[in-house]
Amino acid sequence: MNHAIETQQLHYRAGKTFEIKHLDLHVAPGSIYGFLGPNGSGKTTTIRLVLGLVRPLAGRITVLGCDVPRDAPRVLARVGYVPEQPHLDPTLTVRETLRFQAAFYATWDWPCAERLRRQFELDEPMAFGHLSKGQKGKLMTLLALAQRPELLVLDEPTDGLDPVVRRDILSALLDYVSERHATVFVSSHLVHELERICDWIGVMDNGRLVIELPMERFKNGIKRLRVAGAPPRVAGPPFVLLARERANGAVETWIVREWEPEMARYFESIGASLRDVIDLDLEEGFVELLRTFRVLRP
Amino acid sequence: MFGVMLYGQWKWSRLIIVLATVAGFALPIISVQGAAQSELSPLRVEELLDAVQKWGVLYPVLAAALGLLVAITTWAPDHRGRHVHALSLPLPRWRYVLLRFSSGAVLLAAPALAVLAGSLLATGTATIPPGLQGYPVALALRFALAVVVAYAVFFAVSAGTARTAGVILGLIGGVILVQIIANVANLNLDLFDRLQILVLNWPGPLAIFTGRWMLIDV
Amino acid sequence: MFDQVDPRSPTPLYAQIANRLRIAIASGELRPTAPLPSVRQLAAQLRVNPATVVQAYRDLEDEGFVEMRQGAGTFVREVAPESRGRERARQASALVRKMLTEAGRLGVSIQELQAAIAEEIGVGTS
Repeated sequence: MNHAIETQQLHYRAGKTFEIKHLDLHVAPGSIYGFLGPNGSGKTTTIRLVLGLVRPLAGRITVLGCDVPRDAPRVLARVGYVPEQPHLDPTLTVRETLRFQAAFYATWDWPCAERLRRQFELDEPMAFGHLSKGQKGKLMTLLALAQRPELLVLDEPTDGLDPVVRRDILSALLDYVSERHATVFVSSHLVHELERICDWIGVMDNGRLVIELPMERFKNGIKRLRVAGAPPRVAGPPFVLLARERANGAVETWIVREWEPEMARYFESIGASLRDVIDLDLEEGFVELLRTFRVLRP
Repeated sequence: MFGVMLYGQWKWSRLIIVLATVAGFALPIISVQGAAQSELSPLRVEELLDAVQKWGVLYPVLAAALGLLVAITTWAPDHRGRHVHALSLPLPRWRYVLLRFSSGAVLLAAPALAVLAGSLLATGTATIPPGLQGYPVALALRFALAVVVAYAVFFAVSAGTARTAGVILGLIGGVILVQIIANVANLNLDLFDRLQILVLNWPGPLAIFTGRWMLIDV
Repeated sequence: MFDQVDPRSPTPLYAQIANRLRIAIASGELRPTAPLPSVRQLAAQLRVNPATVVQAYRDLEDEGFVEMRQGAGTFVREVAPESRGRERARQASALVRKMLTEAGRLGVSIQELQAAIAEEIGVGTS
């Protein structure tokens, strides 16, 4: 299967401390891939590498079947990019900005742009520099969508925006995806938003890709278990034991991955009793995953 | 694509272009004031040549300033924020740079043509004393070339990072300003000349700025 | 008709959507031959992945509640009263199971539970 985005052993360094190593990303076509990670983990840099804005030290990048950064200009015609910070000419009005962008993309759809402009309530004569943060965000989303791209790359598209604007942007995005079956690669640290729309999740921490898997497996797979009477050392559990915490009393809290309900039998075999299985939402699962990942790789 | 670039360029630099066009038209006319009389005594001829030469210093200054300012405005919209929009546009970098350069160059035609018009008008209406000649076309051509050279140089400088470009251009701008003030105040401060000797001593396109700029000469 | 879905719940989103629709069909809220909202519309309204909506609709189609017509949309099928009755019975069992689990967690015995049910029902009727 040809991935929409694929990187192999990507390596990049900036300054003395920031480094991205062994990055192997796989974004399936037609999927909505959520790129999660704390601030400073390298999400924006990875996006810049994928779009050919920055050159890697080593490794291969393939976007929509083309090699990046070698074929970057050709690929960028099919990719809609919404960067983290507003970057457009502040003296141009909304109308002039649309005209500027339209000149560069053969696939630009004016009726769609006009429809979105009205939907987002962006008046034509307003100068870009005078728009509020939310309006800028909406305009940049508009620019990416009106281009009718095959791939949308969004870097923290709703960060710092109020809930109403976030809702508008998400709806417009999902509307486009339904219509066009485009692939979406969205990075965010707003976990709750990604939770409802993504079918794949990639977690980044400190320049490394911690894990990459379908959303359902991630959400359902991480559980908090309350276990009583477990021996200090356990060998070969059927699940992946991420952490064990001892609270007051005899009941411990175990954080596990790849949990299946049948594995409850395991506890009888080690002479322990499983008191409870607690679901973690995506945010808690994400936090637990990072916590254990950092402990294992200091 | 060129259309929208030109439009954006016009928005940023229209004030400069308009002012330079007016200045370029007025300069030759002002420099020959006093030559409308039918007969000029030898003393008057001296004064005329003196005036033409004095005002002539402003041509390279205007050319350099114009080239500098238009070059800055060419890159101004790109030097904003951390992400340079141009990099995510679907065209090779060299093509983008070419589009930017051309859009600035097209606008520079206006002041150059204004100098030509002003020079033709000045030499046409003034009475040129016998033994002297007017060189309107040569002057205008030289001006146009100087503008292009200045624009190209500053364009290349501006294409670098915003901060280094700003510093360099600020310094040059300051020198030009001092020279203009000194000229208007009729001080015999030939800063530009001295700098020219320092910087422009090697042959090449920059040499176009050296020497005298004479609309009317022997 | 649609409240927001809960992404934090352990029930997958597509199952939440399918459940809500199944109840609406079984109770008669959605009449036969009525159209369901388009995938695009529902996905944008609930702000979920359109693939999620598609999966919910497919599941309902497999169970015989709706039919997806290419190009026209998704429509409620004529369901025999028995299957609606079956669906209601299924919902009832699920309710009871939930109640029993919760009771177990709280330490309420079966007898105490039955007594409470009788009392509540008695209050409802004359």
